[in-house]
Amino acid sequence: MISETSELALTAPGTIGSCHVGPDALLGIKRQQTNPTRWNGQGWHPFAAALRDSGIELRENIAARGTFATDAGGTAYGLPHGVVIARSAAQVSSLLKAAQQFRVPVTVRGGGLTTEGESVAFGGVLLDMTGMSRVLHVDSDALTVRTEGGIFWHSLAEELRRHGMDYLSAPLNLTSSVGGTLGVGGIDVNSPRLGCSADQALSVQVVTPTGEIVECSDTQNAELFQRVILGYGQFGVITEATLKIRRYTPLRMHYFYYDSLRTAVEDMQLLNKNDASDYSGILTIMDCAVNLLVAFDSDEREAAFKANWQSRLRGHGEFGFALCMLRRYALRPWKIAEAWYLLQRKRELFPEFRRTEYMRDGLMYDRTVVFSHAVWKFWGSKQMVIPDLATSAEKFVAAVERGNAVCRKYFPHYTLYCVGIKLRAEHKPHYEMSCIPPDAEGWAYGCEFEPMMDDRVYSRDYLQSFKNAIYDIGVDLGGSYYRFGGMMKGYIRRVFGDEVVNRHLAMKREADPAMILNRDVIF
Amino acid sequence: MFKGFLMFDFFKNTFAPRRNYSDCSGCSLCLLVCPVWRQHRDISLTPHGHAKALQNVNSAADVVASVENCTLCMACEPVCPENIDIIGMILDLRRQLAAPTWLHELQTRVNERATRPVAPAPSSSTMLLPDQALYAYPDILARIVALLRSVNISDDDGSDISLALESGAAIPEQRLQRFLTQLRQLKRIIVADGLLLRHLKQWLPNANIIGLGVALSGHAVVRRNLRATDLYVIEPRAYHADYQRLVKYYDRLRVAHGCAFNLDLQRIAIPATARNLPQRLGLAASNDDGQTHWMLHGRSITRIVVENLEERAALEKASGFPVVHLAELADDGVT
Repeated sequence: MISETSELALTAPGTIGSCHVGPDALLGIKRQQTNPTRWNGQGWHPFAAALRDSGIELRENIAARGTFATDAGGTAYGLPHGVVIARSAAQVSSLLKAAQQFRVPVTVRGGGLTTEGESVAFGGVLLDMTGMSRVLHVDSDALTVRTEGGIFWHSLAEELRRHGMDYLSAPLNLTSSVGGTLGVGGIDVNSPRLGCSADQALSVQVVTPTGEIVECSDTQNAELFQRVILGYGQFGVITEATLKIRRYTPLRMHYFYYDSLRTAVEDMQLLNKNDASDYSGILTIMDCAVNLLVAFDSDEREAAFKANWQSRLRGHGEFGFALCMLRRYALRPWKIAEAWYLLQRKRELFPEFRRTEYMRDGLMYDRTVVFSHAVWKFWGSKQMVIPDLATSAEKFVAAVERGNAVCRKYFPHYTLYCVGIKLRAEHKPHYEMSCIPPDAEGWAYGCEFEPMMDDRVYSRDYLQSFKNAIYDIGVDLGGSYYRFGGMMKGYIRRVFGDEVVNRHLAMKREADPAMILNRDVIF
Repeated sequence: MFKGFLMFDFFKNTFAPRRNYSDCSGCSLCLLVCPVWRQHRDISLTPHGHAKALQNVNSAADVVASVENCTLCMACEPVCPENIDIIGMILDLRRQLAAPTWLHELQTRVNERATRPVAPAPSSSTMLLPDQALYAYPDILARIVALLRSVNISDDDGSDISLALESGAAIPEQRLQRFLTQLRQLKRIIVADGLLLRHLKQWLPNANIIGLGVALSGHAVVRRNLRATDLYVIEPRAYHADYQRLVKYYDRLRVAHGCAFNLDLQRIAIPATARNLPQRLGLAASNDDGQTHWMLHGRSITRIVVENLEERAALEKASGFPVVHLAELADDGVT
């Protein structure tokens, strides 16, 4: 156990101290990231003058700075010294060159959906990438789109739909940005078939921490591409991206209900392993009502599923599951409060997934809108804590069950969201030191553990303790842990080991000599 | 017991209390539908921006630009998962801001109107409150009156109240009551001004109040002349003011007639104009090109049908397609 004094010891940018985090130990919680030291402002004024001299609009008024005081997590608060809205790669380049010169930290923000302050600036300049959010070119024949990096996935979908197209896979959240997602991963219910969002990028335009504008892909500046994709924004700012796209199709949805997490996960993995569905994922109400979502792009795929796989699934239909629950709680009358909660939750949630304007002839149109509205309506709050675990297929059931036990211990109500991620063997270099677990082959599996805040206010220490308990499972299982926006700095040596971390740190130091870009997210 | 559950749901869903900026979770869903965002790509000019700014450090004076730039299209309210009274709060902020000189003149107009006698009782149980754009097209207004049958046009259309709401001028209680008195006994009120409609629904919760677009599109003679190749432009303010009901109404219209609508993927109406307060008051030049371009981009249509005449002018300027008002569709089949 370390003392309070040493816990608060400052670390220089680019150094990583030993990890002192202990499971369930409130006293030992190290929060280098949620409470990083505010940058002291040295060199700000000449930096600001240099920006203005080069024609960059720098906003230092309190309204502009206050707009970005926190992220979606709502547990980390900080104010930048100034805000720049990204307008072009050349402008971002000028900004980063000046930042290197004056050693001013630059925090890049897309949708701001990070949960531990990764997109919150604790001093320095905040670069708001949403200013670069236009679609540049849609190629319906080549099935590609070129877009600016700050665009929200939903805005991209809006533009693509006018061409009859859709993106491949993106977070079930309308306001994640493309650039931010490529830097962290991004999962969708079609990730078991198409991989994570980051795997959809064919090439990106990156402004490096020293201000060079570089186009990179698997064949052009491949090493930079490998570091930028899934790289947590450490090696450059993604200003443009070329992504694979596809023709738009509505979904044929099926829901199966389980009262066992293990059974549901095993059935989901069965479907994925046999390519039996186009979409699959698990969404739960605590661990009592587990919903396996299965969906298809075509009648043919749906028919094949019904003929070959549906009968093998052990889940119930809605009516059968209601009888199952009735029996369960009739035998456990002391759990009536839990039963009441499930009933209320069902009554709130189900209509949202069946809104007539999005459902037609059994097909769901615009799944991301439906799911994202539900996510924000029923799970969103001013505090959001969503630690995730990612493991190989073999370890996933254990990870989910152990994480579920932690959720039960810390919160009265919570939700789990599980999904498979098809891995691409040729992208192995992209996956190093990312959320993709190093031992996963074929598929990785991820689970989000999302407590329901229920209008309660939890202390950051309590929430941190919960996250630590989840992350410790990942470390123990040799898997990976992650969350929206990054990986907690204090954990990365335990997860990846010194050799990998030191190698990436050396690369970072070389690419970003003043260590100005997205400081404290990883390094 | 079952009925009890239904009532519980009804009250829970219908009368959920509106929340305020302090409840904003920063989801940014409002950005996706905000025409000001589309125009400027600047978060500080959006509901998200001023909610976060006010939450964290600022006062109303710090968000003047955001408050003045809002077009009051109301698109942000239906998508807000926290049920924040975004429009109500913007109007509150406008009232709090230092009054510009033109506001004095407007205030005088409102006050003067308050002293006029109450309008005579209407001879019909249905009244139409036209907006200013309709008065500029008397032939269309006459056609609407003929189409709606037995409808009165009020001498007191509440246009001064609507303008006061929009600009942040105070509405004397006496003036408001005079306006509402004439409406209280009516069976049906048809309102062309979406902002006024929103407030009338709050002031007269038991009255039957509908937008002009819904009133006209409900007529068989209008509906039967809708084509599958039409772009039907819903008036955003009236639509968003009654979103939960109207999203289903227009979806049924789409299924029945196959026409396209100015709806985005969230089923929010894209406005043809994006005019901030100074532009709406004629104090600054407006440019609707970006907005109309986005509405028309990638669509295969042959005609545009509008509910709102202000949008007709913008679309006529921007597109090569014929643009007709909903009421004009009746000509094909009736006259």
